[in-house]
This record gives sequence, C-alpha cells and structure tokens, in this order.
Amino acid sequence: MRDIFYYFERDMLRWLRGRFSVVSALVMPAAWLIFVGLALPTTFTENYIDFITPGILVLTMLGASLQGGSLLIFDKILGFLNKFLALPSSRESILLGKILFITIRGLIQATVIMLLALILGASFLNPASLALTYGILAILGVLLSSFSTAIALSLSDHDAYAAFNSMVSMPLFFTSSALMPYAVMPAWLSSIAYWNPVSYAIDAIRALQGGVLAWSRIGALALLSVVVVCISIRQFRKATL
Amino acid sequence: MIPLETHGLTKHYGSLCAVDHLDLSIGNEIFGLLGPNGSGKTTTVLMLTTLLKPTKGSATVFGHDVEREAQEVRNLISYVPQDMAVDIKLTGRENVAFFAKLYGIPRRDETIDRVLWMMDLSERADDLVRTYSGGMRRRLELAQALVHEPKALFLDEPTIGLDVAARKKIWEHIRILKSRGMTVFVTTHYMDEAEHYCDRVAILDHGLVAAVESPSRLKGMLGKDLISARMSGRIGGNLPEGIECLGGKEDGEFVFSSEHASEKVPTLFRWLEEQGAVIHSLSVREPTFDDVFLALVGTGDEATGFDDRKFRTMLRRR
Repeated sequence: MRDIFYYFERDMLRWLRGRFSVVSALVMPAAWLIFVGLALPTTFTENYIDFITPGILVLTMLGASLQGGSLLIFDKILGFLNKFLALPSSRESILLGKILFITIRGLIQATVIMLLALILGASFLNPASLALTYGILAILGVLLSSFSTAIALSLSDHDAYAAFNSMVSMPLFFTSSALMPYAVMPAWLSSIAYWNPVSYAIDAIRALQGGVLAWSRIGALALLSVVVVCISIRQFRKATL
Repeated sequence: MIPLETHGLTKHYGSLCAVDHLDLSIGNEIFGLLGPNGSGKTTTVLMLTTLLKPTKGSATVFGHDVEREAQEVRNLISYVPQDMAVDIKLTGRENVAFFAKLYGIPRRDETIDRVLWMMDLSERADDLVRTYSGGMRRRLELAQALVHEPKALFLDEPTIGLDVAARKKIWEHIRILKSRGMTVFVTTHYMDEAEHYCDRVAILDHGLVAAVESPSRLKGMLGKDLISARMSGRIGGNLPEGIECLGGKEDGEFVFSSEHASEKVPTLFRWLEEQGAVIHSLSVREPTFDDVFLALVGTGDEATGFDDRKFRTMLRRR
C-alpha cells in the first residue's frame, strides 16, 4: 500500500515541476467550455453552459486519463520500469500508483475547469452533489487510466501510443452525451451514446444537477472500472514475467 | 555460499538463441561479461535479476533460485540498467529517497546522506538532476542501488557514453564496493576497462561463452608479441609456417601471432607482397585485451580471407 503512494508521489513531483504540461492540458477543455459552451446556438436549452459543463468535466478526465498511458510507455522505454521491477517491493504497486496518479491529476484538472465554468456563469451544482460529482469523476478516471495503462503495456513505442490516443479520445467524446441530450440526437447516435461508458459518467452528473442519483449509471460505471482494473493488472503481470 | 551460479542458463527469443547454456560460478569479485553488441549480455543480466524468464536451465543468487525465489533474490541484489534512468526533474536526494522508501529501509535520512557521500554527490545532492553530468547521473544510480546494501550488484554497461575521467571514477567506486564484500557483475564492451578492473571476465559470442578467465591469463594465451600490419588489397591462401592470423580489426589493422614474432616479420612481409597486398606498415607489439577479443570473437564483419576460425578453435583447446 505504501509503495503505491511512493510511486504516486514520484509522478506527482515530476508533473508539478513540468510547468508547461500542467497548464497545457487545461487549454483544450477550457476552449470547449468557452468557444462551444458560450457560443453554440442551441434550441433544446436556455442555459447551454450548464448543460455542457458535465460533458467538459468528463472530457477533462478523458484527456488526462488517456494521456496518462504515455507515462508508463516512457517508464518502459527509458529503463525505469526494469529498475522498479528489480526491487523487492510489490510489482502491482507500480501499476496502481500510475492509476492513482493519473486519476488524481485528472481530478485536479477537472477542478480548474469547474471553477472556470462557474466563472462563465454555470450554476449547476449544490455542495452536496459536488462531492458525488467528484466520486463519479474518480471512478471514470480509474476506468480510463487502467484502460490506457493496459494499452500502454502492450505497445512498444510512444508513437504507437500517441496514435492510439488520438484515435480513441475524440470518437469517445463525440459519441457520448456530452454535447447534446439523447432526445435531439439522431436515432443511430443515441443508441451508441447510451452504451458509451463516457456517457454513464455524464448522465450521472447531469442527474445530480436535477437532484437525482442515477444509481444504474453509477453502478455500471463502477462495475466496468473494476473489470478493467483487473484486466490491466493481468496485462501487467503478463508483461512483466 | 556461492554468490552467483548458473547451470545451462538458456534463453530463446522465438528461433533466435540469445543465451546458450551458460555455466558460470561467480564469487566475491568483479566479474565482467564481455561481448559485442547483441551477444546476449543484457539478456543474461535480465535473467539473473529476475526480469526475464529463462527458457531452460537455472540460476541462483546466494542459493536462491531466480525463478522460484524471485522475491528473495530481489532483496539481495541491485540492478542498474544501461539506460541511465534517473528523474531529471527531481533532485539527486529525491531520486535516492524514492528508492530508499521503496526498499523500506530504516533510518532513511542517514542512509541517503551516506550513499550520496559515498558517490561524491553530497555537495550537489539538492540540485535538480537536470543539471548533472552523465558521470554524476551514473553515480546517482549507483547511490540508488546501494541504499539497501545489496550483496550483489548488477551493472549493465555502467560506463557507456561517459568520458574517460568519469569512467575511471565509476570503476574506482566499483572497486571500493567489491572490497567491502559486494559481488559485482558487470557487462561492458570496453576491453581496456575489463582488463584493468575485472577480476575475471567471461567472453560471450552469439550467446556462447568463448572463455572465462582473468584478463591477464587471457592475454597470456596469445604469447609474448604480435605482428600488426596495415595494408590494402585482397589476400588469401595459406600463411607461412608458424604464423597465424587473429583477424582484421575495424580500423584496418590485421593482427598476426607467432612464437618469435620479430624474426618472422621478414617472412610475413615477403609473403604478403607475393599475395599482392600493398603494405603500409608492419610492426611488432605486445598483445592487448582487444587482440584477445579479436582472437576469440572476431569482428563479426570478416574483412580478411584468412580462416581465423581455425586459430580460434586452437586457442580454446589450449
């Protein structure tokens, strides 16, 4: 358990000292919020910024988590992973430390985006449901970061990982319920969006805006992340002897 | 208890045999594993450090099997890969502290100070590693490896990419560690370093051990003097009686051995001219460790028409 924290601490220190990457990751979700959230003429709602904020929070987690796999790729290419694997400490803690770091980093970025949304006029949550929102985002973070680390383990170079990332992240976002409600989607898109795990999180947060706890969506998300964490651990064991 | 032992240690990557039935027994010494790139050095180290599963055979570290008792082995060893993997955004102290925490060692701060001091890094300990030179980064890796006082240290190409002074310093540190009772297993392809600092070396060629000896005895196998020739043109045919060719080096030097080297120079000169070679220089010199390597392994890219393989099998029989 302690080892997980030490690996987490290492990544955190490295991240906080790379000032550029701390800020740059926020640019895209902020741009969505400002240029789409404030500017898109919509007919289905009076207050689009309120509607899109859950989607952009999830987008922030999505970007942070999928980018996180590259941390493991670099540890692998640069020889860190082999050094860690030769240590007597538990090997899984390397992976779990990564998942923890990627998730926490995503939550920190999501917090900045949430503050920005509030400045832009979103008024979407009360303090009680805010805590639940963080819970949902954390589960999503665990799901996506264990997914991305599992992929990273099976790829051998960073270019391949970057290609995977760009192939997956935007389609996942556009086929979710981030930008519009199911009611205004074409039928083919709404059925895809409904089954997209990214939508589970968005729908659950949107339900919180109306004061409703969407247990089925949260439950599905949690179940899926447990499954993917297990797959990731299995991949890790397989990749390391 | 024997620090390191391998029995028929073998690794296949698909159809490629990277390490072929390696039998080694290593005591409290600096043991060098030598060989050209791709000869199986790193694969061997990875198996000994529990990072790679052997295809066949076994290896033990202080009596613990690297496969079945991997955890015990990891408690006793440290491994420094050749990649120079230190976090440049952290300070030297933070890099070492990270390892100290993972090893769960008691009295952490004292130990960190001690290993940093041992590696001459105390003064720069709180600077970011970004500002360290290559030699300092390598010493920092050694400091990381030493926090839990391992009984065996595995170093893969510890001096690769370093300048002469930095290399010397690394080796001096390695020597001190050995004198404190540590077994040091090191791979390198720098012949001069192996000659100066290793107690024994194993020469690895295409996964096979060509020789295990002390460097001086290996050199002794080549006799007292060698003839070195620089020439151009193609040559072939049988060498004059009593002269053998060790092979051609990448820099264009051809090396010949003979019992009475200086007396054979005229004979060799005449013979080479008859063959139609243009001779630029011909000299007699003492053998170096490079020549041992040339004799045992060759250059890979055979620049000569001589069958120096014949010589190599002879040397093995001796």
